[in-house]
Amino acid sequence: MVGLLGSGLSAAAEAVRAYGPDRVLVADDPRLKAFSAQGYSAVAAKMLSSLPEPRAVLAPATAMGRELLPRLAIEVGGTVAPDATDVVPREGGGLVVTRPVFGGRATLVVELPTIPCVSLRPNAFAAEKSPGASTKTEPFPVGDLPATATSVVVEKTVVTRGDTPELTEAPIIVSGGRGMKGPENFALVEKLARVLGAGVGASRAVVDAGWRPASEQVGQTGKTVSPNLYVACGISGAIQHLVGMSSSRCIVAINKDPAAPIFKVANYGVVGDALTILPALTATIARSKGLPNP
Amino acid sequence: MDVIVCVKHVPDAETRLRAASSGKWIDPDGVKFTVNNTYDEAAAEEALRLKEKCGAKSVRVITVGPARAEEALRYVLSMGADEATHIETPPDAQLDPLTISRLLAGVIKTLPHDIVMVGKQAADDEAGVVGSALGALLGLPSYAFVTELNPDATTKTLKMRRYVEGGEEHFNGPFPAVVSLLKGAADPRTPTLPNILKARKKPLTKVPLADAQAKAQALPGAPVAGTVRSFVLPPPKTGAKMVEFQTPEEAAEKLVKLLREEAKVL
Ligand SMILES: Cc1cc2nc3c(=O)[nH]c(=O)nc-3n(C[C@H](O)[C@H](O)[C@H](O)COP(=O)(O)OP(=O)(O)OC[C@H]3O[C@@H](n4cnc5c(N)ncnc54)[C@H](O)[C@@H]3O)c2cc1C
Repeated sequence: MVGLLGSGLSAAAEAVRAYGPDRVLVADDPRLKAFSAQGYSAVAAKMLSSLPEPRAVLAPATAMGRELLPRLAIEVGGTVAPDATDVVPREGGGLVVTRPVFGGRATLVVELPTIPCVSLRPNAFAAEKSPGASTKTEPFPVGDLPATATSVVVEKTVVTRGDTPELTEAPIIVSGGRGMKGPENFALVEKLARVLGAGVGASRAVVDAGWRPASEQVGQTGKTVSPNLYVACGISGAIQHLVGMSSSRCIVAINKDPAAPIFKVANYGVVGDALTILPALTATIARSKGLPNP
Repeated sequence: MDVIVCVKHVPDAETRLRAASSGKWIDPDGVKFTVNNTYDEAAAEEALRLKEKCGAKSVRVITVGPARAEEALRYVLSMGADEATHIETPPDAQLDPLTISRLLAGVIKTLPHDIVMVGKQAADDEAGVVGSALGALLGLPSYAFVTELNPDATTKTLKMRRYVEGGEEHFNGPFPAVVSLLKGAADPRTPTLPNILKARKKPLTKVPLADAQAKAQALPGAPVAGTVRSFVLPPPKTGAKMVEFQTPEEAAEKLVKLLREEAKVL
Protein backbone atom coordinates (compact mmCIF):
# COMPACT_ATOMS: atom_id res chain seq x y z
CA MET A 1 0.00 0.00 0.00
CA VAL A 2 1.29 3.42 -0.91
CA GLY A 3 0.12 6.40 1.10
CA LEU A 4 0.46 9.79 -0.56
CA LEU A 5 0.06 12.94 1.51
CA GLY A 6 -0.02 16.54 0.35
CA SER A 7 -1.94 18.89 -1.84
CA GLY A 8 -2.40 18.63 -5.63
CA LEU A 9 -1.29 15.01 -5.89
CA SER A 10 -2.86 13.71 -9.11
CA ALA A 11 0.44 13.59 -11.02
CA ALA A 12 2.24 11.96 -8.10
CA ALA A 13 -0.54 9.38 -7.74
CA GLU A 14 -0.25 8.51 -11.43
CA ALA A 15 3.52 8.17 -11.05
CA VAL A 16 3.37 5.66 -8.14
CA ARG A 17 0.62 3.65 -9.81
CA ALA A 18 3.14 2.70 -12.51
CA TYR A 19 5.14 0.71 -9.95
CA GLY A 20 2.19 -1.62 -9.37
CA PRO A 21 1.42 -1.35 -5.63
CA ASP A 22 -1.71 -3.18 -4.41
CA ARG A 23 -3.35 0.01 -3.21
CA VAL A 24 -2.68 3.74 -3.42
CA LEU A 25 -4.32 5.87 -0.72
CA VAL A 26 -4.26 9.57 -1.56
CA ALA A 27 -4.71 12.13 1.21
CA ASP A 28 -4.99 15.20 -1.02
CA ASP A 29 -5.99 18.22 1.03
CA PRO A 30 -5.09 21.92 0.82
CA ARG A 31 -4.41 21.85 4.58
CA LEU A 32 -1.49 19.50 3.85
CA LYS A 33 0.15 21.96 1.44
CA ALA A 34 2.67 23.01 4.11
CA PHE A 35 4.50 20.03 5.56
CA SER A 36 4.42 19.60 9.31
CA ALA A 37 5.50 16.49 11.18
CA GLN A 38 2.50 16.85 13.50
CA GLY A 39 -0.02 17.07 10.62
CA TYR A 40 1.48 14.43 8.36
CA SER A 41 2.04 11.92 11.18
CA ALA A 42 -1.58 12.32 12.30
CA VAL A 43 -2.82 11.46 8.78
CA ALA A 44 -0.29 8.66 8.28
CA ALA A 45 -1.31 7.13 11.63
CA LYS A 46 -4.95 7.24 10.53
CA MET A 47 -4.01 5.49 7.26
CA LEU A 48 -2.21 2.77 9.21
CA SER A 49 -5.12 2.19 11.53
CA SER A 50 -7.37 1.70 8.48
CA LEU A 51 -5.29 -1.35 7.51
CA PRO A 52 -5.98 -4.78 9.05
CA GLU A 53 -2.39 -5.68 9.91
CA PRO A 54 0.28 -3.10 9.08
CA ARG A 55 3.71 -4.74 9.11
CA ALA A 56 6.13 -1.87 8.40
CA VAL A 57 6.22 1.73 7.29
CA LEU A 58 8.82 2.83 4.75
CA ALA A 59 9.58 6.38 3.60
CA PRO A 60 12.42 8.01 1.70
CA ALA A 61 15.25 9.32 3.89
CA THR A 62 14.64 12.86 2.71
CA ALA A 63 14.25 15.80 5.07
CA MET A 64 10.49 15.18 5.33
CA GLY A 65 10.74 11.41 5.60
CA ARG A 66 13.31 11.59 8.35
CA GLU A 67 11.29 14.15 10.27
CA LEU A 68 8.00 12.31 9.91
CA LEU A 69 8.88 8.75 10.96
CA PRO A 70 9.97 9.20 14.62
CA ARG A 71 6.72 11.04 15.27
CA LEU A 72 4.68 8.41 13.49
CA ALA A 73 6.50 5.64 15.40
CA ILE A 74 5.39 7.16 18.69
CA GLU A 75 1.83 7.70 17.50
CA VAL A 76 1.47 4.05 16.48
CA GLY A 77 3.56 2.60 19.32
CA GLY A 78 6.21 1.42 16.88
CA THR A 79 9.99 1.61 16.46
CA VAL A 80 12.17 3.67 14.16
CA ALA A 81 15.45 3.62 12.23
CA PRO A 82 16.58 6.19 9.68
CA ASP A 83 18.59 6.05 6.49
CA ALA A 84 18.58 2.28 5.91
CA THR A 85 20.75 0.76 3.21
CA ASP A 86 19.25 -2.70 3.68
CA VAL A 87 16.08 -4.13 5.24
CA VAL A 88 15.05 -7.76 5.76
CA PRO A 89 12.13 -9.28 7.65
CA ARG A 90 12.79 -10.12 11.30
CA GLU A 91 11.75 -13.43 12.80
CA GLY A 92 8.72 -12.81 15.00
CA GLY A 93 7.74 -9.62 13.15
CA GLY A 94 9.37 -6.31 12.38
CA LEU A 95 12.50 -5.67 10.37
CA VAL A 96 16.26 -6.01 10.61
CA VAL A 97 17.76 -2.80 9.33
CA THR A 98 21.30 -1.99 8.24
CA ARG A 99 22.34 1.63 8.31
CA PRO A 100 25.54 3.66 8.16
CA VAL A 101 26.75 5.41 11.34
CA PHE A 102 29.76 7.63 12.11
CA GLY A 103 29.57 9.30 8.69
CA GLY A 104 29.64 6.00 6.87
CA ARG A 105 32.76 4.84 8.72
CA ALA A 106 30.80 1.92 10.22
CA THR A 107 27.44 0.20 9.90
CA LEU A 108 24.92 -0.77 12.51
CA VAL A 109 22.50 -3.68 12.19
CA VAL A 110 19.39 -3.07 14.31
CA GLU A 111 16.42 -5.30 15.09
CA LEU A 112 13.16 -3.37 15.11
CA PRO A 113 10.04 -4.97 16.60
CA THR A 114 6.60 -4.14 15.19
CA ILE A 115 5.68 -1.64 13.78
CA PRO A 116 9.05 -0.62 12.34
CA CYS A 117 9.12 2.84 10.71
CA VAL A 118 12.16 2.99 8.46
CA SER A 119 13.45 5.64 6.08
CA LEU A 120 15.46 4.37 3.13
CA ARG A 121 18.61 6.03 1.86
CA PRO A 122 18.16 7.37 -1.69
CA ASN A 123 19.89 5.18 -4.32
CA ALA A 124 20.26 2.25 -1.93
CA PHE A 125 17.21 0.46 -3.37
CA ALA A 126 16.24 0.04 -7.02
CA ALA A 127 12.68 0.98 -8.03
CA GLU A 128 11.20 -1.14 -10.78
CA LYS A 129 8.16 -0.18 -12.79
CA SER A 130 5.51 -2.78 -13.31
CA PRO A 131 4.19 -2.47 -16.85
CA GLY A 132 0.43 -2.83 -17.19
CA ALA A 133 -0.22 -2.12 -13.49
CA SER A 134 -3.94 -1.66 -12.97
CA THR A 135 -3.96 -0.30 -9.41
CA LYS A 136 -6.67 2.25 -8.74
CA THR A 137 -6.05 5.22 -6.52
CA GLU A 138 -8.39 5.71 -3.55
CA PRO A 139 -9.02 9.08 -1.95
CA PHE A 140 -8.32 9.08 1.79
CA PRO A 141 -10.34 11.53 3.90
CA VAL A 142 -8.01 13.61 6.05
CA GLY A 143 -10.54 14.60 8.72
CA ASP A 144 -9.51 16.72 11.69
CA LEU A 145 -5.94 17.94 11.95
CA PRO A 146 -4.17 19.24 15.05
CA ALA A 147 -4.26 23.05 15.27
CA THR A 148 -0.45 23.08 15.52
CA ALA A 149 -0.42 21.56 12.02
CA THR A 150 -2.90 23.83 10.30
CA SER A 151 -1.17 26.93 11.66
CA VAL A 152 2.13 26.11 9.93
CA VAL A 153 2.34 28.46 6.97
CA VAL A 154 4.98 28.46 4.25
CA GLU A 155 5.61 32.02 3.13
CA LYS A 156 7.93 31.24 0.28
CA THR A 157 10.12 28.55 -1.19
CA VAL A 158 13.52 29.48 -2.53
CA VAL A 159 14.71 27.00 -5.13
CA THR A 160 18.48 26.67 -5.04
CA ARG A 161 18.73 23.77 -7.40
CA GLY A 162 19.18 24.53 -11.09
CA ASP A 163 18.74 21.73 -13.60
CA THR A 164 21.12 19.43 -11.73
CA PRO A 165 19.74 16.73 -9.43
CA GLU A 166 19.52 17.29 -5.65
CA LEU A 167 22.93 16.35 -4.31
CA THR A 168 21.76 13.93 -1.65
CA GLU A 169 19.70 12.01 -4.21
CA ALA A 170 22.05 12.19 -7.21
CA PRO A 171 23.17 8.72 -8.30
CA ILE A 172 26.49 10.19 -9.49
CA ILE A 173 28.37 13.21 -8.12
CA VAL A 174 31.34 15.00 -9.63
CA SER A 175 33.01 17.08 -6.96
CA GLY A 176 35.76 19.69 -7.22
CA GLY A 177 38.24 21.07 -4.68
CA ARG A 178 40.97 23.66 -4.48
CA GLY A 179 42.99 21.63 -6.99
CA MET A 180 40.65 22.96 -9.70
CA LYS A 181 42.71 26.16 -9.33
CA GLY A 182 39.92 28.69 -9.88
CA PRO A 183 36.14 29.10 -10.18
CA GLU A 184 36.33 29.30 -13.98
CA ASN A 185 37.68 25.73 -14.17
CA PHE A 186 34.53 24.35 -12.57
CA ALA A 187 33.10 24.44 -16.10
CA LEU A 188 35.14 21.23 -16.56
CA VAL A 189 33.44 19.66 -13.53
CA GLU A 190 30.02 20.78 -14.76
CA LYS A 191 30.61 19.38 -18.25
CA LEU A 192 31.58 15.97 -16.92
CA ALA A 193 28.54 16.09 -14.63
CA ARG A 194 26.33 16.90 -17.60
CA VAL A 195 27.38 13.88 -19.67
CA LEU A 196 27.05 11.64 -16.61
CA GLY A 197 23.68 13.07 -15.52
CA ALA A 198 25.44 13.83 -12.25
CA GLY A 199 25.18 16.43 -9.49
CA VAL A 200 28.04 18.84 -8.78
CA GLY A 201 29.68 18.80 -5.35
CA ALA A 202 32.46 20.83 -3.77
CA SER A 203 34.89 20.85 -0.86
CA ARG A 204 34.54 23.42 1.86
CA ALA A 205 37.75 25.11 0.72
CA VAL A 206 36.16 26.17 -2.57
CA VAL A 207 32.85 27.10 -0.94
CA ASP A 208 34.69 29.28 1.59
CA ALA A 209 36.65 30.83 -1.27
CA GLY A 210 33.35 31.77 -2.90
CA TRP A 211 34.00 29.64 -6.02
CA ARG A 212 30.91 27.50 -5.45
CA PRO A 213 27.57 27.86 -3.59
CA ALA A 214 27.22 26.40 -0.07
CA SER A 215 24.45 24.08 -1.32
CA GLU A 216 27.17 22.06 -3.10
CA GLN A 217 29.37 21.48 -0.06
CA VAL A 218 29.96 17.86 0.87
CA GLY A 219 31.25 16.92 4.30
CA GLN A 220 30.84 17.34 8.02
CA THR A 221 29.43 20.86 7.74
CA GLY A 222 27.85 20.26 4.34
CA LYS A 223 25.85 17.37 2.92
CA THR A 224 26.24 13.67 3.46
CA VAL A 225 25.99 11.84 0.18
CA SER A 226 26.24 8.22 -0.90
CA PRO A 227 25.93 8.06 -4.66
CA ASN A 228 26.85 5.03 -6.73
CA LEU A 229 29.80 6.97 -8.11
CA TYR A 230 31.67 9.91 -6.54
CA VAL A 231 34.39 11.55 -8.62
CA ALA A 232 36.68 13.73 -6.46
CA CYS A 233 38.70 16.18 -8.55
CA GLY A 234 41.52 18.12 -6.88
CA ILE A 235 40.22 17.27 -3.39
CA SER A 236 42.83 16.30 -0.81
CA GLY A 237 40.53 14.09 1.28
CA ALA A 238 40.46 15.80 4.69
CA ILE A 239 38.54 13.78 7.30
CA GLN A 240 35.79 16.43 7.38
CA HIS A 241 35.25 15.88 3.66
CA LEU A 242 35.47 12.09 3.89
CA VAL A 243 32.71 11.77 6.50
CA GLY A 244 30.33 13.27 3.94
CA MET A 245 31.09 10.90 1.06
CA SER A 246 32.97 7.79 2.17
CA SER A 247 29.87 5.60 2.03
CA SER A 248 29.62 6.17 -1.74
CA ARG A 249 29.55 2.85 -3.58
CA CYS A 250 32.48 3.67 -5.87
CA ILE A 251 34.94 6.55 -5.42
CA VAL A 252 37.28 7.88 -8.10
CA ALA A 253 40.02 10.31 -7.12
CA ILE A 254 41.86 12.54 -9.56
CA ASN A 255 44.72 14.31 -7.81
CA LYS A 256 48.20 15.55 -8.69
CA ASP A 257 49.67 14.32 -5.42
CA PRO A 258 50.08 10.52 -5.16
CA ALA A 259 50.21 10.86 -1.35
CA ALA A 260 46.84 12.68 -1.09
CA PRO A 261 44.69 10.97 1.61
CA ILE A 262 41.73 10.78 -0.79
CA PHE A 263 43.48 7.81 -2.46
CA LYS A 264 43.12 5.83 0.78
CA VAL A 265 39.33 5.78 0.47
CA ALA A 266 39.12 5.74 -3.33
CA ASN A 267 38.44 2.62 -5.36
CA TYR A 268 40.18 4.02 -8.44
CA GLY A 269 42.90 6.64 -8.55
CA VAL A 270 44.32 8.80 -11.30
CA VAL A 271 47.49 10.70 -10.36
CA GLY A 272 47.49 13.68 -12.69
CA ASP A 273 46.28 17.15 -13.53
CA ALA A 274 42.49 17.35 -13.18
CA LEU A 275 42.45 20.20 -15.68
CA THR A 276 43.60 17.88 -18.47
CA ILE A 277 42.07 14.59 -17.27
CA LEU A 278 38.53 15.95 -16.91
CA PRO A 279 38.08 17.11 -20.55
CA ALA A 280 39.41 13.75 -21.77
CA LEU A 281 37.03 11.89 -19.47
CA THR A 282 34.08 14.03 -20.60
CA ALA A 283 34.92 13.41 -24.27
CA THR A 284 35.26 9.62 -23.74
CA ILE A 285 31.98 9.33 -21.89
CA ALA A 286 30.11 11.60 -24.30
CA ARG A 287 31.38 9.50 -27.23
CA SER A 288 30.38 6.21 -25.57
CA LYS A 289 26.89 7.54 -24.86
CA GLY A 290 26.49 9.07 -28.29
CA LEU A 291 26.17 12.55 -26.80
CA PRO A 292 27.73 15.73 -28.20
CA ASN A 293 30.94 16.69 -26.36
CA PRO A 294 29.87 19.75 -24.33
CA MET B 1 10.70 32.35 27.92
CA ASP B 2 12.55 29.16 28.87
CA VAL B 3 14.83 27.42 26.43
CA ILE B 4 16.11 23.86 26.78
CA VAL B 5 18.87 22.44 24.60
CA CYS B 6 19.61 18.70 24.37
CA VAL B 7 23.16 17.58 23.56
CA LYS B 8 25.03 14.29 23.31
CA HIS B 9 28.59 13.47 24.33
CA VAL B 10 30.08 11.76 21.28
CA PRO B 11 33.46 10.55 20.03
CA ASP B 12 35.57 13.25 18.42
CA ALA B 13 35.23 13.23 14.60
CA GLU B 14 38.85 12.22 14.11
CA THR B 15 38.81 9.38 16.62
CA ARG B 16 39.98 6.05 15.34
CA LEU B 17 37.09 3.61 15.77
CA ARG B 18 37.52 0.11 17.17
CA ALA B 19 34.66 -2.32 17.75
CA ALA B 20 33.94 -3.34 21.35
CA SER B 21 34.30 -7.02 22.23
CA SER B 22 30.47 -7.23 22.40
CA GLY B 23 30.50 -6.49 18.65
CA LYS B 24 27.63 -4.07 19.19
CA TRP B 25 29.25 -0.65 19.41
CA ILE B 26 32.62 1.07 19.58
CA ASP B 27 35.13 0.32 22.31
CA PRO B 28 35.13 3.57 24.32
CA ASP B 29 38.58 2.87 25.76
CA GLY B 30 41.02 5.63 24.82
CA VAL B 31 38.41 7.47 22.78
CA LYS B 32 38.22 11.25 23.13
CA PHE B 33 34.60 12.27 23.73
CA THR B 34 33.35 15.79 23.09
CA VAL B 35 30.21 17.83 22.56
CA ASN B 36 31.95 19.06 19.45
CA ASN B 37 29.19 17.58 17.42
CA THR B 38 28.57 20.02 14.59
CA TYR B 39 24.81 19.98 15.04
CA ASP B 40 24.58 19.99 18.84
CA GLU B 41 27.04 22.85 19.18
CA ALA B 42 24.99 24.81 16.65
CA ALA B 43 21.83 24.09 18.66
CA ALA B 44 23.52 25.30 21.85
CA GLU B 45 24.69 28.46 20.12
CA GLU B 46 21.20 29.14 18.77
CA ALA B 47 19.67 28.56 22.22
CA LEU B 48 22.03 31.16 23.68
CA ARG B 49 21.24 33.61 20.88
CA LEU B 50 17.51 33.14 21.57
CA LYS B 51 18.19 34.18 25.13
CA GLU B 52 20.15 37.24 23.98
CA LYS B 53 17.63 38.20 21.28
CA CYS B 54 14.44 37.88 23.27
CA GLY B 55 15.54 37.93 26.87
CA ALA B 56 14.74 34.31 27.64
CA LYS B 57 14.75 33.59 31.36
CA SER B 58 17.10 30.68 31.25
CA VAL B 59 18.86 28.25 28.98
CA ARG B 60 19.08 24.74 30.36
CA VAL B 61 21.22 22.04 28.79
CA ILE B 62 20.24 18.36 29.16
CA THR B 63 21.98 15.14 28.28
CA VAL B 64 21.40 11.41 28.67
CA GLY B 65 24.67 9.58 29.13
CA PRO B 66 27.22 7.97 31.42
CA ALA B 67 29.19 9.86 34.09
CA ARG B 68 31.70 11.24 31.57
CA ALA B 69 28.87 13.05 29.71
CA GLU B 70 28.96 15.68 32.46
CA GLU B 71 31.82 17.17 30.40
CA ALA B 72 29.37 17.93 27.60
CA LEU B 73 27.11 19.76 30.04
CA ARG B 74 30.01 21.76 31.50
CA TYR B 75 31.06 22.69 27.99
CA VAL B 76 27.65 24.14 27.12
CA LEU B 77 27.51 25.86 30.53
CA SER B 78 30.85 27.45 29.67
CA MET B 79 29.38 28.61 26.35
CA GLY B 80 26.81 30.49 28.48
CA ALA B 81 23.94 28.17 29.46
CA ASP B 82 22.55 28.76 32.96
CA GLU B 83 21.70 25.32 34.31
CA ALA B 84 22.22 21.68 33.43
CA THR B 85 20.44 18.36 33.92
CA HIS B 86 22.21 15.01 33.62
CA ILE B 87 20.17 11.84 33.22
CA GLU B 88 22.86 9.38 34.18
CA THR B 89 23.06 5.95 32.55
CA PRO B 90 25.39 3.02 33.29
CA PRO B 91 28.72 3.28 31.41
CA ASP B 92 27.93 0.45 29.01
CA ALA B 93 24.26 1.23 28.33
CA GLN B 94 23.39 1.15 24.66
CA LEU B 95 20.15 3.05 24.25
CA ASP B 96 17.86 3.20 21.26
CA PRO B 97 17.14 6.77 20.10
CA LEU B 98 13.46 6.34 21.05
CA THR B 99 14.46 5.27 24.57
CA ILE B 100 16.70 8.35 24.86
CA SER B 101 13.80 10.49 23.64
CA ARG B 102 11.47 9.03 26.30
CA LEU B 103 13.97 9.68 29.09
CA LEU B 104 14.49 13.26 27.91
CA ALA B 105 10.76 13.90 27.47
CA GLY B 106 9.91 12.52 30.92
CA VAL B 107 12.30 14.98 32.54
CA ILE B 108 11.60 17.95 30.23
CA LYS B 109 7.91 17.61 31.02
CA THR B 110 8.68 18.55 34.65
CA LEU B 111 10.72 21.63 33.65
CA PRO B 112 9.52 24.94 32.18
CA HIS B 113 10.07 24.92 28.40
CA ASP B 114 8.93 27.21 25.58
CA ILE B 115 11.47 26.11 23.01
CA VAL B 116 13.35 22.83 23.08
CA MET B 117 16.36 22.87 20.76
CA VAL B 118 18.19 19.81 19.44
CA GLY B 119 20.84 19.28 16.77
CA LYS B 120 19.81 17.58 13.53
CA GLN B 121 21.47 14.34 14.57
CA ALA B 122 24.17 13.03 16.88
CA ALA B 123 27.58 12.53 15.33
CA ASP B 124 27.79 8.90 16.48
CA ASP B 125 24.59 6.99 15.67
CA GLU B 126 23.33 9.75 13.34
CA ALA B 127 19.73 8.82 14.06
CA GLY B 128 18.14 12.29 13.99
CA VAL B 129 15.18 10.87 15.90
CA VAL B 130 15.11 12.88 19.13
CA GLY B 131 13.68 16.15 17.76
CA SER B 132 10.40 14.97 16.29
CA ALA B 133 10.09 12.15 18.84
CA LEU B 134 10.25 14.75 21.64
CA GLY B 135 7.55 16.72 19.83
CA ALA B 136 5.23 13.72 19.82
CA LEU B 137 6.04 12.73 23.42
CA LEU B 138 5.58 16.25 24.81
CA GLY B 139 2.49 16.92 22.68
CA LEU B 140 4.24 19.82 20.94
CA PRO B 141 4.72 20.73 17.30
CA SER B 142 8.22 20.00 15.99
CA TYR B 143 10.20 21.53 13.16
CA ALA B 144 13.31 19.93 11.66
CA PHE B 145 16.14 20.83 9.26
CA VAL B 146 15.77 24.40 10.52
CA THR B 147 18.49 26.88 9.52
CA GLU B 148 17.12 30.07 11.06
CA LEU B 149 14.55 30.91 13.74
CA ASN B 150 13.14 34.10 15.24
CA PRO B 151 10.40 33.95 17.86
CA ASP B 152 7.61 36.51 18.09
CA ALA B 153 6.64 36.36 21.76
CA THR B 154 3.34 38.22 21.39
CA THR B 155 1.86 35.92 18.72
CA LYS B 156 3.76 32.86 20.02
CA THR B 157 5.00 32.25 16.49
CA LEU B 158 8.39 31.13 15.28
CA LYS B 159 9.52 32.60 11.97
CA MET B 160 11.82 29.99 10.51
CA ARG B 161 13.72 28.75 7.48
CA ARG B 162 14.24 25.08 6.75
CA TYR B 163 16.10 22.93 4.25
CA VAL B 164 13.92 21.03 1.80
CA GLU B 165 15.14 18.92 -1.11
CA GLY B 166 16.10 21.38 -3.83
CA GLY B 167 15.83 24.57 -1.81
CA GLU B 168 14.75 26.34 1.30
CA GLU B 169 11.36 27.18 2.81
CA HIS B 170 10.57 30.31 4.78
CA PHE B 171 7.79 29.30 7.15
CA ASN B 172 6.01 30.12 10.39
CA GLY B 173 4.72 27.84 13.08
CA PRO B 174 3.44 28.12 16.64
CA PHE B 175 5.47 27.55 19.81
CA PRO B 176 6.00 26.08 22.47
CA ALA B 177 7.75 23.69 20.12
CA VAL B 178 10.74 21.46 19.52
CA VAL B 179 13.21 22.74 16.93
CA SER B 180 15.81 20.49 15.34
CA LEU B 181 18.58 22.60 13.89
CA LEU B 182 20.46 21.74 10.69
CA LYS B 183 22.76 24.72 10.85
CA GLY B 184 22.85 27.84 12.98
CA ALA B 185 22.96 31.44 11.85
CA ALA B 186 26.37 31.89 13.52
CA ASP B 187 29.45 29.81 14.30
CA PRO B 188 29.27 28.33 17.82
CA ARG B 189 31.16 30.51 20.31
CA THR B 190 34.34 29.25 21.96
CA PRO B 191 34.19 29.35 25.76
CA THR B 192 36.53 31.90 27.33
CA LEU B 193 38.65 31.04 30.37
CA PRO B 194 36.57 33.14 32.82
CA ASN B 195 33.42 31.45 31.50
CA ILE B 196 34.97 28.01 31.88
CA LEU B 197 35.71 28.84 35.52
CA LYS B 198 32.20 30.23 36.06
CA ALA B 199 30.66 27.11 34.51
CA ARG B 200 32.14 24.95 37.28
CA LYS B 201 29.87 26.66 39.77
CA LYS B 202 26.65 26.65 37.75
CA PRO B 203 23.86 24.34 38.98
CA LEU B 204 23.96 20.82 37.55
CA THR B 205 21.17 18.45 38.57
CA LYS B 206 21.70 14.71 38.39
CA VAL B 207 18.63 12.60 37.62
CA PRO B 208 19.10 8.89 38.35
CA LEU B 209 18.05 6.66 35.46
CA ALA B 210 15.25 5.03 37.49
CA ASP B 211 13.69 8.45 38.20
CA ALA B 212 13.76 9.40 34.53
CA GLN B 213 12.28 6.01 33.61
CA ALA B 214 9.47 6.53 36.12
CA LYS B 215 8.74 9.97 34.70
CA ALA B 216 8.68 8.53 31.17
CA GLN B 217 5.98 5.98 32.00
CA ALA B 218 3.07 8.36 31.56
CA LEU B 219 4.19 9.42 28.07
CA PRO B 220 2.30 8.44 24.90
CA GLY B 221 3.52 5.62 22.64
CA ALA B 222 4.86 2.26 23.72
CA PRO B 223 8.19 1.76 25.47
CA VAL B 224 9.38 -0.49 22.63
CA ALA B 225 12.77 0.02 21.05
CA GLY B 226 15.19 -1.38 18.56
CA THR B 227 18.11 -3.50 19.74
CA VAL B 228 21.52 -3.60 18.11
CA ARG B 229 22.43 -6.91 16.55
CA SER B 230 25.89 -5.89 15.36
CA PHE B 231 28.28 -3.01 14.73
CA VAL B 232 30.49 -3.53 11.73
CA LEU B 233 33.63 -1.67 10.77
CA PRO B 234 34.56 -2.16 7.13
CA PRO B 235 37.88 -3.87 6.52
CA PRO B 236 40.47 -1.13 5.99
CA LYS B 237 40.46 -0.12 2.33
CA THR B 238 43.50 -1.51 0.64
CA GLY B 239 43.94 1.72 -1.28
CA ALA B 240 42.84 2.70 -4.72
CA LYS B 241 43.56 0.76 -7.88
CA MET B 242 45.78 3.24 -9.74
CA VAL B 243 45.28 3.91 -13.42
CA GLU B 244 48.62 3.97 -15.29
CA PHE B 245 48.71 6.16 -18.39
CA GLN B 246 50.82 8.23 -20.79
CA THR B 247 48.18 10.67 -22.04
CA PRO B 248 44.97 12.06 -20.50
CA GLU B 249 43.02 10.24 -23.24
CA GLU B 250 44.54 6.92 -22.19
CA ALA B 251 43.69 7.64 -18.54
CA ALA B 252 40.09 8.40 -19.53
CA GLU B 253 39.74 5.25 -21.67
CA LYS B 254 41.12 2.99 -18.94
CA LEU B 255 39.06 4.58 -16.18
CA VAL B 256 35.79 4.37 -18.12
CA LYS B 257 36.48 0.71 -18.88
CA LEU B 258 37.06 -0.04 -15.18
CA LEU B 259 33.95 1.85 -14.11
CA ARG B 260 31.85 0.12 -16.70
CA GLU B 261 33.16 -3.44 -16.57
CA GLU B 262 34.60 -3.89 -13.08
CA ALA B 263 32.72 -1.48 -10.80
CA LYS B 264 29.59 -1.53 -13.01
CA VAL B 265 28.59 1.98 -12.04
CA LEU B 266 28.29 3.54 -15.50
C1 LIG C 1 35.07 21.98 11.82
C2 LIG C 1 35.46 21.77 10.38
C3 LIG C 1 34.47 21.41 9.47
C4 LIG C 1 34.82 21.20 8.13
N1 LIG C 1 33.83 20.80 7.27
C5 LIG C 1 34.17 20.51 6.00
C6 LIG C 1 33.20 20.03 5.07
O1 LIG C 1 32.01 19.91 5.38
N2 LIG C 1 33.59 19.73 3.83
C7 LIG C 1 34.89 19.86 3.40
O2 LIG C 1 35.17 19.54 2.23
N3 LIG C 1 35.82 20.33 4.24
C8 LIG C 1 35.49 20.67 5.53
N4 LIG C 1 36.45 21.17 6.34
C9 LIG C 1 37.75 21.57 5.75
C10 LIG C 1 38.74 20.45 5.52
O3 LIG C 1 39.49 20.26 6.69
C11 LIG C 1 39.70 20.78 4.36
O4 LIG C 1 40.34 21.99 4.63
C12 LIG C 1 39.02 20.90 2.99
O5 LIG C 1 38.20 19.78 2.75
C13 LIG C 1 40.08 21.00 1.93
O6 LIG C 1 39.50 21.21 0.68
P1 LIG C 1 40.26 20.77 -0.66
O7 LIG C 1 40.52 19.33 -0.63
O8 LIG C 1 39.48 21.30 -1.81
O9 LIG C 1 41.60 21.64 -0.61
P2 LIG C 1 43.10 21.24 -0.29
O10 LIG C 1 43.21 20.51 0.97
O11 LIG C 1 43.88 22.46 -0.50
O12 LIG C 1 43.46 20.19 -1.41
C14 LIG C 1 43.63 20.46 -2.76
C15 LIG C 1 44.07 19.19 -3.44
O13 LIG C 1 44.14 19.39 -4.84
C16 LIG C 1 45.28 18.75 -5.36
N5 LIG C 1 45.64 19.44 -6.60
C17 LIG C 1 46.23 20.65 -6.76
N6 LIG C 1 46.31 20.96 -8.05
C18 LIG C 1 45.77 19.93 -8.74
C19 LIG C 1 45.55 19.67 -10.13
N7 LIG C 1 45.93 20.54 -11.08
N8 LIG C 1 44.97 18.53 -10.47
C20 LIG C 1 44.59 17.62 -9.52
N9 LIG C 1 44.78 17.82 -8.21
C21 LIG C 1 45.34 18.97 -7.81
C22 LIG C 1 46.31 18.84 -4.26
O14 LIG C 1 47.27 17.80 -4.40
C23 LIG C 1 45.45 18.70 -3.00
O15 LIG C 1 45.37 17.34 -2.63
C24 LIG C 1 36.15 21.39 7.68
C25 LIG C 1 37.13 21.77 8.60
C26 LIG C 1 36.81 21.96 9.93
C27 LIG C 1 37.90 22.34 10.89
